[in-house]
Amino acid sequence: MVTIQGVSKSFPGVKALDDVSFGIKAGQVHGLMGENGAGKSTLIKILSGVYTDYSGSISINGEPVRFMSVNSAQKHGVATIFQELTIVPELSIAENIFLGREPVNFGGLINWKKMNEKSVEVLAFLDVHLSPKEPVGSLSIANQQIVEISKSLVLNSKIIIMDEPTSSLTEHEVRQLFLLIQRLKENGITILYVSHKLDEIFEICDTISVLRDGKHVGTKKTTETDRNDIIKMMVGRSLKMLFPERKGGRKNQLLSVKGLTRKGEFNNISFDLYGGEIIGFAGLIGAGRTEMAKSLFGTTLYDSGEIVLLGSKKIRFKHPGEALENGVAYLSEDRKGEGLMLQLTIKENMSISILKRIAPVLFVRNKLERELIRSYSKTFKVKMVSTDQMVESLSGGNQQKVIITRLLMTESQVFIFDEPTRGIDVGAKYEIYKIMNDLTEKGKGIIFISSELPEVLGISDRIFCMREGEIVKEFNKSEADPETIMHVLTGGTAV
Amino acid sequence: MNISNKAKTFLVLIGVNVTIVILLTILSPTFITYGNISAVMSRMSELGMLAIAETIVFISGGFDLSIGAIMALSGAVCGMLNAIGLPFGLVLFISLLVGLGVGAFNAFLIVNLRLQPFIVTLATMSIIRSIVYAMLKGSVLTGLPPGFLDLGYFYIFKIPFLFIVLIVTGIIISVLLKNTIIGRKIFFVGGNEKTAYLSGIHVGRVKYLVYCLSGLISAMAGIMFVIRIRAVIPDAGLNAPLEVVTAVLIGGTTIYGGKGSVFGSLLGILAMYLLLNGFSLLSLNPFWEVIILGLILIVVVGQKSISESLRRLFPSRKTERQVQVKPETV
Amino acid sequence: MNTTLHSGYRKKGLKEYFQFREIPILFYIIFIVIIFSILIDGFFSIKNFENISRQITTIGIVSVGMTMVIITGGIDLSVGAILSFAINIGGLGISLGWPIPVVYLVMIGLGLLLGFINGFLVTRIAVPALIITLGTMNIYRGITMVITRGIYITGISSSYQIVGEGLLPFMFFLIILAIFVFITLRTRFGRNLFAIGERGESALYSGVPVNKYKVITYVLSGFLSAFAGIILVGKSGFIQPQAGMGYEMGAIAAVVIGGTSIFGGSGSILGTFLGSLFMGLILAGLTMLAVNPFWIGFITGFLILVAIAVDSLRHRRKDYSGG
Repeated sequence: MVTIQGVSKSFPGVKALDDVSFGIKAGQVHGLMGENGAGKSTLIKILSGVYTDYSGSISINGEPVRFMSVNSAQKHGVATIFQELTIVPELSIAENIFLGREPVNFGGLINWKKMNEKSVEVLAFLDVHLSPKEPVGSLSIANQQIVEISKSLVLNSKIIIMDEPTSSLTEHEVRQLFLLIQRLKENGITILYVSHKLDEIFEICDTISVLRDGKHVGTKKTTETDRNDIIKMMVGRSLKMLFPERKGGRKNQLLSVKGLTRKGEFNNISFDLYGGEIIGFAGLIGAGRTEMAKSLFGTTLYDSGEIVLLGSKKIRFKHPGEALENGVAYLSEDRKGEGLMLQLTIKENMSISILKRIAPVLFVRNKLERELIRSYSKTFKVKMVSTDQMVESLSGGNQQKVIITRLLMTESQVFIFDEPTRGIDVGAKYEIYKIMNDLTEKGKGIIFISSELPEVLGISDRIFCMREGEIVKEFNKSEADPETIMHVLTGGTAV
Repeated sequence: MNISNKAKTFLVLIGVNVTIVILLTILSPTFITYGNISAVMSRMSELGMLAIAETIVFISGGFDLSIGAIMALSGAVCGMLNAIGLPFGLVLFISLLVGLGVGAFNAFLIVNLRLQPFIVTLATMSIIRSIVYAMLKGSVLTGLPPGFLDLGYFYIFKIPFLFIVLIVTGIIISVLLKNTIIGRKIFFVGGNEKTAYLSGIHVGRVKYLVYCLSGLISAMAGIMFVIRIRAVIPDAGLNAPLEVVTAVLIGGTTIYGGKGSVFGSLLGILAMYLLLNGFSLLSLNPFWEVIILGLILIVVVGQKSISESLRRLFPSRKTERQVQVKPETV
Repeated sequence: MNTTLHSGYRKKGLKEYFQFREIPILFYIIFIVIIFSILIDGFFSIKNFENISRQITTIGIVSVGMTMVIITGGIDLSVGAILSFAINIGGLGISLGWPIPVVYLVMIGLGLLLGFINGFLVTRIAVPALIITLGTMNIYRGITMVITRGIYITGISSSYQIVGEGLLPFMFFLIILAIFVFITLRTRFGRNLFAIGERGESALYSGVPVNKYKVITYVLSGFLSAFAGIILVGKSGFIQPQAGMGYEMGAIAAVVIGGTSIFGGSGSILGTFLGSLFMGLILAGLTMLAVNPFWIGFITGFLILVAIAVDSLRHRRKDYSGG
């Protein structure tokens, strides 16, 4: 029913989709899987009409189409339920379902009777019994989702794309959603079900497509494949990725974490970090790694647990400033939102972390500042015209290098890198790996969070697998391979 | 590329000022006289101080509408305390403290209660203004004892004392912003609060400082105003928000934070006052000033967006996008 | 028990989601009416309530327009200036001997035009509505001052004052309230405004003509400002260039105190009415208690602070972890 042909899309520095082609049969539940960064969300946005600039073609029932807006996609029968729901809490269920196309009498007066009746119809079709007059803001997320699904039905959608629909649902609500999906299927509606949860995909989908590194790896009927197969498709890749060699061994204990818990985010996290080593944290979205890292850094409080620094000092940071003073540095996964001051220059973005060094008393020693920045940026080869360039104009990779350089300038002992190579080209990635190596050779310790398995495997000495806020297994570099880890992450017991 | 951008803005500003000066010199015989020039210098002193205060707030990413009201309040306190005979030093101290206090109150609402700066300072502006009216019972206070008021007639090397205060304050704040660690922090908070926080900066403390400074400098402006006109007016600083915000934005400081300069803001104020002076010298309706200011405000802040829209209206070859795929474009 | 673990996706609807958000303000109104009635002789009288109703009319009408704009996430600081512009040009017409309907038409027309300019600029230039309307406020006022040269127009014929007699102004206010309550509760346009004010792509993705509707709200705000001006002329019998000074503050106060969120996406006209009623009652009560009239601004400002603090608590959507 939907044919995707040779679709590619690039962003500065990264090719998000590379010649993706596959077909979605009508009336099926078609699963789309892939790691973070594999290109799933880019593809969804193209199909939904959010991204209009891409190469390749998309056809619906044989007719080529090109959506210029979300609206036009909807008019062609493609509706998307994004992870961030687009409901209006202030308005009622019926108003949300019919937003923008409310049945009106002359003069723009809403025909409430008609709207409410139709809403009840749609909801009944989905076997849901809610009053159409209730404000959506007071509903549970599961019900809000149902409102969105109803919205797409009312649009006469032929295909509904669901993006990680179960990420905020309880077990029970997931069951209900699946019943709903069945009902939709029985009525000839096609569903593109995007998720990283293998169990769910296998339960509900008829066909599964896998993306990896922006490329389409394969599409198989669910009955003709199994978990191992899919995992292999998701992670197996020709190991063209090089990792710089690492030498040097473990040094002293830098960090000892015991029983770190924060209700609803992470539970009973315990691990040790030694100088000279990199420990990797693998996990899927929602695993709780960032939350845990932020609590180590003092941005988030935790309910219970103990953190000991350098073997003797018990710490509980209340502010990032404290963490930095004690030699713990954090690289945020949200480069643009938290990592950079986009409108400011490279120089300013770097000097923010060395303020104490360049201004011992009150006044900033401009010369010292300039020299420090110049020497550090030379060492880490940030590509730029001058340090007075606006950071916004740099490529993703170079932006990241600026931030990393900034962190390095703090001369910390413990570094927490959260998705440091996300959205960055291969060359820059390699340079960042080298930087990490250099750090460990100097005796520093690194906590490395990443959703790219080959990376985690290639660079970590030890790997912790997190799932739903808990550490489920620890691997040594030698005993781990991508498939085993993906197994653990998606819920299977390790082989 | 960025260096020349900053320099460009300054050059334009200086150019504008020079143009106005030349125009007025030609058009009016009394413009270039010592009496006129020194009067302009005196008159722009208070608003110049307010511009300095607002510049600091803008750089930190905030907004302070209460500067005019604080000016009036401190002026009123100063005048009234002086009238009852308190020693000048004490009067000065208390008046400044009042300004600082209001600034701290603003900061409390913005930092601790996490309220939007615009609405908060809109509300405190109203509150403070009505306190001033109540204190002065709506009327003007005159007949203040001389003494410190004579500072208004004080000249150093023929330059009005008040103007010197402005310049000195401008230099101090400029140095503070550009060359001290706390100044840097203010820029960084304006650049991206989250980044600043994650880099170890205590964002709340920085904001407290910013609003307190703003209150303090506004208080100074209030005292200077009383000295200059030798009276206390409840309406002091009533028009300040528009004039100051416009001058600051023209001067190159952005409303989003992270960038700005005291020097630019002062040039902006200078241009405004030269214009105003020109109006009165040429007997033009002074209300034209407000109109022009409003226009300038919209044009200056929106210039990037306006030029983009114009480009879209008249697309050149370069800006036309190529449609790659033939099929039905919906 | 399964705890849903996810990153950055917070559950929106709070349990305390009032169906009738106007109930708290209603309580406050009843409360102060009781207090003032006890403290003041003659507070609880028809004459007093008639006075109050006349007083709250002009700003009240302006507040209705302001509510619409704020619901969509914008703001209009130029309302007072539009009022002044409209009635002063109208005043010019009166002195030139134009017939009444023409004068009224011109006033309304100007309100629509100036409002349209606001809306056009806000939607076409990527500058916050705050700055745009700050600029237009001063442009409109400046032009008014230039044209009128600061002259008051007095001795306006009594035919203009018909609209200002007795409870007629208040009737107009109620009619306008009714119309706009109806619009915001029952028309597609009105309901979609809430979607526009809600951050995110809900309105855009649903095909709501966002820019068009936003412009309409500014046009309506301008229209209502001009209309309020007509009533004002009727009540006071003269036209002054400084008319409408501070109305934007009063309107914002009524809107915010009435429960509309300054961030947009929620609110009600009824709430705004109660907000202006509340402020009118406080003002009247304090005046009768012989409290210094200059405290008006103080109370207004204070009430705004309380209102936004409460609103902010309700809107705590941000992540706790400092960003």
